[in-house]
Amino acid sequence: MTQQRDTSAQPSVNLPELLVRVDNDRDLLRELIEIFQEDFPRRLQQLQTYVGQRDMNSVETASHGLKGMLSSLSAMRAAAAAARLEQMGREGKMAGLPEALAQFEQEVEGLLPELDGYMMEAKQ
Amino acid sequence: MKILIADDDAVSRRLLEKTLQREGYEVIAVDNGLLALQQLSLPDGPRLALLDWMMPGLAGPGVCSAARELRGRPYVHIVLVTSRNAKQDIVAGLESGADDYLTKPWNTAELLARLRVGQRILHLEDRLVEAGETLLFKATHDSLTSLLNRGAILDLLARELARTRREKGCTVMMLCDLDHFKNVNDTYGHVVGDEVLQEVARRLLFSVRSYDFVGRYGGEEFLIVLNNCDSSQAVLRAEEVRNGIANHPVQTSRGPLPITMSLGILASRDWDFHLAEEILGEADAALYRAKADGRNCVRLAEPKASSDPHSQLVK
Repeated sequence: MTQQRDTSAQPSVNLPELLVRVDNDRDLLRELIEIFQEDFPRRLQQLQTYVGQRDMNSVETASHGLKGMLSSLSAMRAAAAAARLEQMGREGKMAGLPEALAQFEQEVEGLLPELDGYMMEAKQ
Repeated sequence: MKILIADDDAVSRRLLEKTLQREGYEVIAVDNGLLALQQLSLPDGPRLALLDWMMPGLAGPGVCSAARELRGRPYVHIVLVTSRNAKQDIVAGLESGADDYLTKPWNTAELLARLRVGQRILHLEDRLVEAGETLLFKATHDSLTSLLNRGAILDLLARELARTRREKGCTVMMLCDLDHFKNVNDTYGHVVGDEVLQEVARRLLFSVRSYDFVGRYGGEEFLIVLNNCDSSQAVLRAEEVRNGIANHPVQTSRGPLPITMSLGILASRDWDFHLAEEILGEADAALYRAKADGRNCVRLAEPKASSDPHSQLVK
């Protein structure tokens, strides 16, 4: 499970750190990924809606929640992109908001398949 | 040990829950601040809490402030978990009543170490409360008999009188004095005298209901306060108390000793509005009459306006 994945891109998840966090418990890792896979699409959709509406308070709250989830899964680049959105939400800074959202979406694009891969490995 | 975790992010919540369960904590996990506060308000609620800063409904600092307002609950050690690490946020969190904070993503070893610090503080708090309770007991109880001491029984009497007056009820007080107790001390010594006082205290407690009060009023004097009891029952109850002492000799290290007691009793309803000190003087006068009438008997104090200006003979 700790083998380097066969991909040219840098992995989104810092797997060694995540494994320490779950104390090498594969069942727990699988459970956390399942929870994330179930919860994440809804939260992303909410964030996209709030960005579209320029509802900055909700942008802050929604991206804060996403940041927490992502950092718990050691997806630190995606968590950092969520933190930028949260900061913009807090400051009410609308300039560059769609770009920041696009960057976040790009960071998480590869995350779900990557997590699927970990799920398969964790089941073995 | 029970611990509350409150986090609206299901991934972090499950991870935290599992981490703490591995360490032997009994985890209660909720996903919002209102449910967290509800758990902290329960009489047997958790005493350690890890609260996420940002939550729907009520945020972590709001839960802290509200939890600190709760009365009658033991102290709860609250740790705020936050990814906001600006200094002013940390200050605001601690000012809201949190004891500590952790930043997300947490380091497991640090998290557990901080919780152990929390447990140490709770242990100190428990010892402090226990010491306070012991001191309170010592301040309100007689060390020989463990009955309420003079100050405590008088406070209770004043409170009961005020309550029964408000509720138009009646409180009965019984001032009891052992007969010829000085002879016991002079003949058998103070150790035996103390044994007699301890046995009398035990019998007095046994002869009243669980919601009545018995106190040591002075050397060999006891004060009994009966709730919701009027003068018609008072004499019967006093006779039971008197018989409880007189009917069986007290077993001491120097053999069985016959002990008797005289009682001056008073029912508050007969005396309209009087302070405890005033009517205690009347109960004392009734006790004096019991002594004068040969001891080992009960006398009821009655207001001077009644047909009998002094007391009613009941034995």
